[in-house]
Amino acid sequence: MTATSKTSILILDDEPIVSKRLQPALEKKGYEVESFYESARAMVRIRERSFDIVVTDLKMEGIDGMQFLAEVKKLSPRTEVIVITGFATMDTAKESMRKGVFDFLAKPFKLGEIQEVIRKAEEHIRLGKAGKE
Amino acid sequence: MFGLLEHIRTRLLRRRRRERVSLAALFRQFQQVLELNNRILTAIASMHDKLGGDYIFDVQYLRSSKQFIVDTVRELIDAFDAMAPGRYPGLYTAFRDIRHKLESELERRPVLPDVMAIPFADIRLRDMDAAGAKSTRLVMLAKASAGAVPPGFAVTTSAYRLFMELNDIEDEIVRLEDGWRNGGMTVQEASGKIRSRILAGSIPPRVRRAMGRELENLRRGAGEGGLRLAVRSSAWGEDGDLSFAGQYDSFLNVRPEDLHDAYRKVLASTYSPAAMEYRREYDFKPDEVFMAVSVQAMVEARTSGVVYSLSPVRRGVSGIEIAAAWGLGSPVVSGEVEVDRFLVGREPEHALLRRTVAHKPTALRPGPEGSVVTEDVDEPLRDAPSLSPEEVRLLADTAIRLEQYFKKPQDMEFAFDPSGALIVLQSRPLRIEAGDDPHSPALSEVLKEYPVLLSGEGDVAQQGVASGPVFVAWEGRDLEEFPVGAVLVAHLSSPQYAAVLPKASGVITDIGSPLGHMATIAREYRVPALLNASRATLVLKEGDVVTLDAEQKTVYQGLVRELRMHDFMSDRMEETYEYRLLRRMLKLIEPLYLVDPEENNFTPQGCRTMHDIARFIHEKAVEILTEIPTTAGASEACPGGRLELPVPMDLVVLDIGGGLTEECAGSEDGTPSRRRTVRPEQVRSKTLRAFIDGVTLEGVWQSHPVAVDFSSFMSSMTRTFSADSAGVKRMGQNLAVVSDRYLHLSLKLGYHFTLIDCYESEDDSRNSVQFRFAGGVTGAVRRSRRARFLSEVLKGFDFSVTVKDDLVVARAKGWMARDLNRLMRILGLLVAYTRQLDVSMVSDAVIFEHCQEFEHIAEEAVGN
Repeated sequence: MTATSKTSILILDDEPIVSKRLQPALEKKGYEVESFYESARAMVRIRERSFDIVVTDLKMEGIDGMQFLAEVKKLSPRTEVIVITGFATMDTAKESMRKGVFDFLAKPFKLGEIQEVIRKAEEHIRLGKAGKE
Repeated sequence: MFGLLEHIRTRLLRRRRRERVSLAALFRQFQQVLELNNRILTAIASMHDKLGGDYIFDVQYLRSSKQFIVDTVRELIDAFDAMAPGRYPGLYTAFRDIRHKLESELERRPVLPDVMAIPFADIRLRDMDAAGAKSTRLVMLAKASAGAVPPGFAVTTSAYRLFMELNDIEDEIVRLEDGWRNGGMTVQEASGKIRSRILAGSIPPRVRRAMGRELENLRRGAGEGGLRLAVRSSAWGEDGDLSFAGQYDSFLNVRPEDLHDAYRKVLASTYSPAAMEYRREYDFKPDEVFMAVSVQAMVEARTSGVVYSLSPVRRGVSGIEIAAAWGLGSPVVSGEVEVDRFLVGREPEHALLRRTVAHKPTALRPGPEGSVVTEDVDEPLRDAPSLSPEEVRLLADTAIRLEQYFKKPQDMEFAFDPSGALIVLQSRPLRIEAGDDPHSPALSEVLKEYPVLLSGEGDVAQQGVASGPVFVAWEGRDLEEFPVGAVLVAHLSSPQYAAVLPKASGVITDIGSPLGHMATIAREYRVPALLNASRATLVLKEGDVVTLDAEQKTVYQGLVRELRMHDFMSDRMEETYEYRLLRRMLKLIEPLYLVDPEENNFTPQGCRTMHDIARFIHEKAVEILTEIPTTAGASEACPGGRLELPVPMDLVVLDIGGGLTEECAGSEDGTPSRRRTVRPEQVRSKTLRAFIDGVTLEGVWQSHPVAVDFSSFMSSMTRTFSADSAGVKRMGQNLAVVSDRYLHLSLKLGYHFTLIDCYESEDDSRNSVQFRFAGGVTGAVRRSRRARFLSEVLKGFDFSVTVKDDLVVARAKGWMARDLNRLMRILGLLVAYTRQLDVSMVSDAVIFEHCQEFEHIAEEAVGN
């Protein structure tokens, strides 16, 4: 197996604590992870390549999470997007779900919870791929 | 005139009526005080839990938690103020002050302590904000007996702030940094301008005075030889020091009269281009930049050098790398000269794996007038190793102990003085870069090769990776035997393990809560801890080497080196802004400074944290209730009465809601509560009933024979002051304040005071019981023996115990207090048993005889 068979994840959150905590934990689980603090830079990156899973915050300076996830879905409809936010309201949850988000997590959450969501997203992707073959 | 009298009469009448009504209200308010108090303690524990690394949180979480604490404490003060209107206006002042500081922190204006210099001897872990990371770590390692450190003092972050303020440099910095960030100038230009402003600044008089005072102390300690100083940066920002390695300046062999110049130069290095770039990279905000300065007495160094506890040059090979040369250490640190190099094994025997002895024709030595000079080395020493094999082993050992203590590989600077004594000059985390490590990408594959002993169960109290031999803390085992670096495995997470946590590499328990006391200690020492893992004591065998990955809730058999490396290389959550902010906020919320109600600081003015306020209010609210039975005019309306007991205890029970059956909770008959009687079966509170069961157990109270001299016996007979005697207030009457969830007992028996405070929560894991005991009739020695007896017994029942002279304070919280009724029965037994015990405490041996006897009684009565 080569590195390219790993599930790729992009993390975008303007608070560094999120990726500092998530990236090593996910790498340990065998994922390939890139993280970004600025949405503009993440935007450049998703235009360069597609990721299997994107984890993004909603409220950020510059391009916000809602715009970012819309762009991700436009560029790569098969990418599963997981939204994490400290400002969880029913409205934002609904809106992001309408935009095709795989799941929605309100901060603070436990590492195990997001790992579980990521695992489900991965399974979803795998089944989706299997279905198309 | 008549109108005025009438007015006064109506006012008085209304007031009297109000008092009558207010007793019911008082009870309601007290219940509310309890409820709010509990809510605050739960919220504090939950915030602390976030430091363990299992949660991902953001600044919004910190804002909302702060708001919750602030609102709840405010509500608590109001509820208490309704019990004692206007009695403690100082509480509002203390509250406003703490709230203001919390808001300051969230608005990025950190709260720094108002002190300009602190001698090393006085630095505590909590002084990190004042003294900076380097000085604090140095002091901590000395306290952990991981090495000797030079004497010195820290010039604080507050001194830095004052310096910048008085010299009016701050706005200039903001302007220049903006210019650089916007691309208007290079980092070198901005840095150069800021540094010249700092170098031209004058040191504020307060800072000069504080430095002068500490310098004088150092000079006195230095004796005859002239004092020389090593002046080093000690940047602010928790453990962030690791990343600033080499970015700030240090100055060696500084004459005391040149300290001010060296101080300014170190401050100026805060704005070196490298440091500015680094802070931009790691999201340090402009308001987070505070430089403390470490001033150490120079060590006369025969040999100096650097140790990396985990060689970063040869990854995958676990080795300790040592570099050393004759004389002072700066050429070794900067890599300017050829040095002796040693690579030794990390295992305890520290086998020598490689040794290169360099040709060392010169050495750096202290020169005249504070200079350092390069001198020729004596011919025979030029090609001789600068460290003996014993010294190499000692260094390796020290480095591993520091790694163990700080939970990360260490980069340590050291010196051996002419007498051969090792002195640690600094120790900081060693950054090991990931990237080209061949082991890292395949970690998930590698992990599949290791047998898994436990997986998927438990709650993470502190994340991280730990490996070492298992130490099973079975009941009654002597914890003194706990080996450094072992993994503690226990059935319950008990506070009694707190003492071994600094030595432990990890902790695994069958039962326990991340909100409990032991979890708090584990986080304090960053010991990876997995609690509530259900089968740990069954599966993990004494002496077997295991690796705990707390983050993934997995225990592997054997030492999983790859996992350790991954952990060492990972970015630390502790380095993030949000984590640093949470820690700083908790400093204003969590610590308890008001411990003993008898101390002078037990006042509203003494409240330094939100926890202090809650504690003060709880204590005083109980005091108000305990005054009721002796307060004229209030007792008739008081639900409760004197408890009929088969032992002469004279206990008045005051029911504040649901603690007694309804027929005795009423107060309509107007009989003062102390004249009414309550039968034990009329007690509804389970905890009070359990206590009664214990205290009245046959043979424990009355018939226990105590061989005593006559006068001691007479004095130690159960004695209860008359409730009416003048001057004796709450302590005079044995009193139980009881509700359906709460029990407070204040007892005076045989000249000693016992207080028991017990709260049953809706959530079992938040139950709490506190026991306080002091006094006695005999001399200090016998009373302290009784204190030791109590301490031994209570520890055996998993209480966390502190003893000071004859004062014993014991607490059980969370899981430890799950079975409150059992604990209350034990406390009942203990009260009965210890009533006249100090008299019999004629020797230390008696303590243990009584421990055994009590253990036997307790076993018979409640099982163990």
